[in-house]
Amino acid sequence: MVARLTSARAARTRKGEPWVYVTSGALALMLALLLGVILLLLVKGLGFFWPGELVQVVTRDGRTILGQEWHAEDVPASAGAAGEPRTRTQYRVGNRREFGADFVWVDDDAIVSRETPRDALFVERLTDTPTIGTLKETRRDGALVAAGAAGAAYEVYLRLADEARHERSGAGAPLLDEASCTVVFTLSDGQEVEIPLAAVVRTVRPNDIGLFDKTRVYAARLWEFLAAPPRESNTAGGILPALLGTVLMVLLMTLAVVPLGVVGALYLNEYARQGPLVRLVRLAVSNLAGVPSIVFGMFGLAFFIHVVGDGIDRVFFPGREAATFGTGGLLWAALTLALLTVPVVIVSTEEALRATPRAQREGSLALGSTRWQMLRSIVLPSALPGILTGMILAVARGAGEVAPLMLTGVMKLAPSPLIDGTPPFFHLERKFMHLGFHIYDVGFQSPNVEASKPMVYATALLLLVLVVILNLSAILYRNRVRRRLQGALF
Amino acid sequence: MKLTCGRAACAAVLFSGGLAQGAALEQVDGERGELPKYEKVEGLELKGTLDSVGSDTMINLMTYWAEGFARYYPGVKLQVEGKGSSTAPPALIEGTAHFGPMSRAMKATEIDEFEKALGYKPTCLRTCLDALAVFVNKDNPIESLSLEEVDAVFSKTRNRGFAEEVTTWGQLGLAGEWANQPISAFGRNSASGTYGYFKETVLEKGDYKDTVKEQPGSSAVVQGVAESRGGIGYSGIGYATSDVRAVPLSARKGKEAFAANIENVLNEDYPLGRYLFLYVNRAPGKALDPMVREFLKFVYSREGQQVVEKAGYLPLSADVCRAERELLD
Repeated sequence: MVARLTSARAARTRKGEPWVYVTSGALALMLALLLGVILLLLVKGLGFFWPGELVQVVTRDGRTILGQEWHAEDVPASAGAAGEPRTRTQYRVGNRREFGADFVWVDDDAIVSRETPRDALFVERLTDTPTIGTLKETRRDGALVAAGAAGAAYEVYLRLADEARHERSGAGAPLLDEASCTVVFTLSDGQEVEIPLAAVVRTVRPNDIGLFDKTRVYAARLWEFLAAPPRESNTAGGILPALLGTVLMVLLMTLAVVPLGVVGALYLNEYARQGPLVRLVRLAVSNLAGVPSIVFGMFGLAFFIHVVGDGIDRVFFPGREAATFGTGGLLWAALTLALLTVPVVIVSTEEALRATPRAQREGSLALGSTRWQMLRSIVLPSALPGILTGMILAVARGAGEVAPLMLTGVMKLAPSPLIDGTPPFFHLERKFMHLGFHIYDVGFQSPNVEASKPMVYATALLLLVLVVILNLSAILYRNRVRRRLQGALF
Repeated sequence: MKLTCGRAACAAVLFSGGLAQGAALEQVDGERGELPKYEKVEGLELKGTLDSVGSDTMINLMTYWAEGFARYYPGVKLQVEGKGSSTAPPALIEGTAHFGPMSRAMKATEIDEFEKALGYKPTCLRTCLDALAVFVNKDNPIESLSLEEVDAVFSKTRNRGFAEEVTTWGQLGLAGEWANQPISAFGRNSASGTYGYFKETVLEKGDYKDTVKEQPGSSAVVQGVAESRGGIGYSGIGYATSDVRAVPLSARKGKEAFAANIENVLNEDYPLGRYLFLYVNRAPGKALDPMVREFLKFVYSREGQQVVEKAGYLPLSADVCRAERELLD
């Protein structure tokens, strides 16, 4: 019996079955990790835009707190004090300017009452953290227009706020202190704040609206995140400049890296005499892929910015006090990343060149074509899918790199658009914002890190989606090319 | 002192080491309400790009100012970069930045280099006050710390003379479960002005322990402390969150400890008050670029100093603002 079992196991081993389990297990683990990351980003990033319930709690010592339940945890049991585990909740109370901090922890066993008032407002503001409170009155030129938080007064407030918003977007960027209409809110601790109506971005009564309206608010916030510039030192508003900066930089990098890599690979594979020197070059190229990216960043700073950029400034912009090209910018960052990713393109292009059937090459030469004609019309077209694979890998690597960018022109705030109406329309010398750096900035340099943490997840998710979109379009194109190639075979 | 106000104040910080004890704060007791509102210059159409390179502590302050200033002059784009105060002097010398925000005063060597390259000294402007806070986890029951104790937590040289190396909270007087809780110290990276200021003022130029975890940003320090129960770290008070608590500090063991708030910095009771500076490159006898001038005027207006409060720092008095404004003309 035992002998039969052992021999069965031996047979399985011979067939290689344990390896099937090991490999499939490894793949499953990887997929699970990947899914986990995506799920985490989805939940933490996308949940942020949902208008959450506003809770009003009164504590035993008489404090009233109105805010969103943000986070809950166990109170660490102090030694000796045995008993039931205690919990506490973090509330987002907003009003950072008025309260000093916009988050507060409350022990759950200190709460004596908890309710969800229907008229509680969540007001997003242009120049401060959100105000959470109730409507007191709306004023025009100091005179009362509507008072109270009741339905009619709320309607008046909403209408005026809407008008003020349209006025604001029409006039460009008017000064908030010249605004004639103001609104007064009562905060949970009884204080009142008066803010200009033009500074109100969005008002929500999350406890009073249904699922449909909540979804509308959600969509509006998500759209703002994608299509608006940041506010409040990147902790509110959108990420449009960072999104555009990333896309433009990756495109520019691709424009630089693909020709460079393909030409390099062509020479190495087609023209160069194969020998120890070429092998050495090949080895060097492969090793280049392993050089830490910050080293490329330093090279970009030293060569592109300080040698090339300063040179351009001396020749074309003499007498200018501030540096134009002799400082970090989109162009230099893209070129640095192109250098960083060129080994990937060379290696995969070479691979594809080698895969071109010898018979086709010889056939072409036999028909009297020159070497260049053969390369152009036979080898390169058949290598195109491989070149595109290299490009896809380069984009995937380049879109996620941040370290070299920090030395070559990425900024926390770069309000000058990279594309605008003034010639030469594309401003490659300008500093730019980048999603990867934005994640770092909002995560580690933000003034209000608790409130902006969800933005980090949302931005990370967006970066991921962006890379997937860029790659997917390249993959679709590659598949089309492949089909065309197959059709061309006879 | 008042004649060469800006630069003298910088020098005072430089040579006294600790600013709060120096003469630099003497003028900060005027009324804040007197500050003039910012008046947009009629007919002046400004258009162009300004660059700010420097302190990470001030990066959000600069961004808030940029956002505020853009409401007056939408054509002026201020680009903000903040990797540490040490990056400001080279950027000013190379002309890649118009503003060099620094959370410490320039060192003598940095001023020398600037002078060597350009032939004159940089213009130093005080923008606001900061209370450098020592944060602990919100669950940490410690009531106060003296600078000797803080020094002994962060430094291996212990120049302030604390008797022993401090590695657990028990050594700082906590009992019960905290007695054996190891201290996990968070600090800034060496390009940071906060790192330099803390080293000068608290460690008295001593060396940091190798176990201090160097973080890339001020709020990274705060997050580190928030996540670790035995954590302690230093950062500008503007970065406080509900997960951490700023410990009241006393200048010497046995003396009264003061919380890191505005009043205590003004009264010079809190031992770690400091100015946050803005350096600009201005050739003697030459006027400032109108964009730079208007931006700085905005900084010293009521609106600009309100931004300071919003960012969690302490605004200047009207007197200091006036003195700094005079440097602009």
